[in-house]
Amino acid sequence: MLMHVIHMGHDVFKANDKIAEKNRKALDKHGVFSVNVMGAIGSGKTTLIEEAVRHLKEKYRTAVIAGDVIAEMDASRFRKLGVPTIPVNTGKECHLDAKLVEKALDEIDLENTDLLIIENVGNLICPVDFKLGEHLRAVVVSVTEGDDIILKHPMIFKTAELAVINKVDIAHAVDVDAEKMRDDILSLNPDVPVILTSKHDWDSLETWISFIELGLRRAQEAQRN
Amino acid sequence: MHEYSIACEIFEQVIATAEAHEALEVRHIILEMGRLAHTNPDQLSFCFKAIAEGSIAENAEFVVEMIPPSLECECGYTGTVDETQIGKDGELRSELLEYIAALECPVCGRNARITGGRELIIKSIDIETEVEK
Repeated sequence: MLMHVIHMGHDVFKANDKIAEKNRKALDKHGVFSVNVMGAIGSGKTTLIEEAVRHLKEKYRTAVIAGDVIAEMDASRFRKLGVPTIPVNTGKECHLDAKLVEKALDEIDLENTDLLIIENVGNLICPVDFKLGEHLRAVVVSVTEGDDIILKHPMIFKTAELAVINKVDIAHAVDVDAEKMRDDILSLNPDVPVILTSKHDWDSLETWISFIELGLRRAQEAQRN
Repeated sequence: MHEYSIACEIFEQVIATAEAHEALEVRHIILEMGRLAHTNPDQLSFCFKAIAEGSIAENAEFVVEMIPPSLECECGYTGTVDETQIGKDGELRSELLEYIAALECPVCGRNARITGGRELIIKSIDIETEVEK
């Protein structure tokens, strides 16, 4: 018997990153702006996406990838809005990965799409390490998760490009200070835009929707230049 | 909890490499794990053992080397987080939070860019082969 040391240097996450880069190239080639909406279970991701789709679909050709342990439930909500929707069942997995998104992209007519919203699995931990190829990484939490939720899940807020604190209209009822949550996010990531939303407050939803639209317009301008 | 699928990926890579080198047995798997990655070394090893049962890697031992986060700042500073400072402030905080709090540039105090510490690398494997190959 002989012992050997075999050097490998194989980065498990890099394998995912490579597919994510491929996804990004495919999206860029067709001028599609994509948003990865991550967030806690029950934080209101689906509702916020529905609102965005409802108000952007007339101006921009919009498609949705609905990722979930059982994705059909959310997918049927998006289909009701009349936009192409691809459900991605992750089965037992707690996050979407680039490979799953790559497969879903095959089913989307990218040539005729301007905006792609990807709803990730409700989870504040696992999606962090898996890039999908998205242009904007958004994270949604709601006040009902408690105001210590941010510091318990620092990496997702540290790496987010947009943070949304949802259901602020019931903050008082659940004894949570939404401003503390905002401060915690900014302490981890001082440059990230933080939006406070409630589905009953149109102005707040408009801010969320405008942010997506702003990114989309910037991407379209960059594409033209 | 996504250790199972990561363990599957590690198993596939390790077996492919071991077989390419005509291994009879995989003795050690040396991993480099970033402090900022959301992976639990014990769970990973547990999942791997379940997957590797009956294979040439079934008795392989996991050796996990933790990698401190490294950063790069606009001011030109590059370096790794000073791990001797982690866990020193006495507050009840998570280790991950401590590391993230330490990601400020030690020179100018700005929020620095993370350049390392999120990886999970199969660095090497120790295998046994026949004397004559």
